[in-house]
Amino acid sequence: MTEPFNRLVKLAARAFYDDFTTKGDNQPKTGRSDNRGMAVVVLDALTRRQWVREEDLAKSLKLHTKQLRRTLRFFEEEKLVTRDHRKETAKGAKIFSAAIAAAADGQQVGKEGDEKTKIHTHSYCCLDYAQIYDVVRYRLHRMKKKLKDELDNRNTIQEYICPNCNRRYSAFDAMQLVSMEDEYFHCESCNGELVAESDKLAAEEMGDGDDNSRRRRREKLKDMLQRMEEQLKPLTLQLARVKDLPAPEFGTLQAWEASVNAAGRGGNNNGSATDASKSAQGQGYGGTPMPYIGETKVEVTIFGADVKDEGAETEAATASLKVLPPWMIKQGMNLTKEQRGELRPDAKVDGSEAYRDQSDEKKQEQKQEDVKSLEEEYLTAYYEAYARMLEASKTAQGEAEVSQQSTSSYLNGVSDTNSARQVGMKVKREDDDDGILNELSIVNDPNAQPDGSGDEDDDIDWEEG
Amino acid sequence: MFFHMVLERNMQLHPRYFGPHLHEKLTTKLVKDVEGTCSGKHGFVVAVTKVESIGKGLIREGTGFVTFPVKYQCVVFRPFRGEILEAVVTLVNKMGFFAEAGPVNIFVSNHLIPDDMEFQSGDIPNYTTSDGSVKIQKDSEVRLKIIGVRVDAAEIFCIGTIKDDFLGRN
Repeated sequence: MTEPFNRLVKLAARAFYDDFTTKGDNQPKTGRSDNRGMAVVVLDALTRRQWVREEDLAKSLKLHTKQLRRTLRFFEEEKLVTRDHRKETAKGAKIFSAAIAAAADGQQVGKEGDEKTKIHTHSYCCLDYAQIYDVVRYRLHRMKKKLKDELDNRNTIQEYICPNCNRRYSAFDAMQLVSMEDEYFHCESCNGELVAESDKLAAEEMGDGDDNSRRRRREKLKDMLQRMEEQLKPLTLQLARVKDLPAPEFGTLQAWEASVNAAGRGGNNNGSATDASKSAQGQGYGGTPMPYIGETKVEVTIFGADVKDEGAETEAATASLKVLPPWMIKQGMNLTKEQRGELRPDAKVDGSEAYRDQSDEKKQEQKQEDVKSLEEEYLTAYYEAYARMLEASKTAQGEAEVSQQSTSSYLNGVSDTNSARQVGMKVKREDDDDGILNELSIVNDPNAQPDGSGDEDDDIDWEEG
Repeated sequence: MFFHMVLERNMQLHPRYFGPHLHEKLTTKLVKDVEGTCSGKHGFVVAVTKVESIGKGLIREGTGFVTFPVKYQCVVFRPFRGEILEAVVTLVNKMGFFAEAGPVNIFVSNHLIPDDMEFQSGDIPNYTTSDGSVKIQKDSEVRLKIIGVRVDAAEIFCIGTIKDDFLGRN
């Protein structure tokens, strides 16, 4: 689809920019450091890529970054290329590489980056096809116009330049510039002698002082015009071919990255992927070393596609209503299910995982282990208490029962016990301090009264038995 | 080029002129005010030919002046690009020469003077052909072509050439 446009770019590059050097005009060192034609190479390389980082392009083309940068700056001024400069951490830069890889392979390259807080400005560039089409057409129009004007003697309004202050005057200003004693025009500001500017293409033939010279000039111009048309014919043909086609549009850097990331992850989770990549970009943008949720998504894929969906769901859910930690829940608070953390069992498991995803990667791994051990301890203790409570609750009816729903969000597998009871029931909560162990005591306390006997009985039973 | 057109103007008249010959006084004032002026839009007003109508006067508040809207026919002169004019040379310079075609000033730069004409400074600076046949100096008549017209609010200025066929002297 972009093929005719690429061809247009290549033709234009070879027609107009094949003598572009980055040297400047002061020291022509031919031979060793003659890099004419570099512009063509760069443009050709850009036709094979979309958004690309300038450093990467320099590496693949084996060019110096500074030279490439100068060339790209020149192209940006010629309106062939759009550039975007972004402040990113090294991580953000990796997101981009991932995006590129996704565009290339369709797979996600999950990188575990180290945290770098330094922010560098990365530059990206991309060909702007719609503009290129217009720019090339305008250039051709201007070339033809210049020659035709010369032929028709149209551009004959003389211009004058002051050599001192470089101020330009037109012949129209001559009225104000004259009327000095000597016979020259003087600059208004610095009184320097003005020099007539000869901008004519074919004005070299002098001295004949003849009609002939004029005719010769016309011949020369006509000849030039003809040669120009002939040499630019393939370009004009390509322009005509491309005229009706819609130009390939890559959008801004962020939009392109987002769409590429989404495509790269496959058809499964377009929504979450774009969210993730967007948020990642936002984070990369801000420059803070926040975690890249997309990368953590890679871990989650181990569990299968469903998990990811629910992970996204719970993320969305948690975005709307936060799960209140148990120590925040006071008695009599009108809380929704979500706030208490009462979720479906499956979702809970993944909710926990999603919750974990939101913390740092490294710390997360450690935390996981800590949490797991803690969880196991809690589990065992909880089960004991729960068993006791069940017995007690059988005896005592209509008691306010403690909900440990919210704490279960930290647990693995406690969900089973919770699912057996109190799903769908709002339960009052006691005041308590933080700490899981306090939960335990509280679990015991309210039930202690009615069950106190039970406990004692149990104790007594035990003691006895 | 000359045009004959209808223009309108608001004239203010002092009460001392109110009387039986109010309209004549108004016409005289108009002619005095307008003839010889230049507007960018219409060009130079060369002459007022007829006063078409004089509207009802409006007394200005505060002063006793009365404003009359006056419609009048007049001849205007406006140069155009590509037009060929005859002009009289006023100033000869190394950079070219200045000429006047009626109320408008035209400048011809030496680039637009044929190459066989050389500048000769001296008592009477002039441009002369190599064989001396044609001489352009102050007060000579020259036919020139207008290349560009610059129109300010109240000023018109032109650039001309004598480099084409049938231009220049004779």
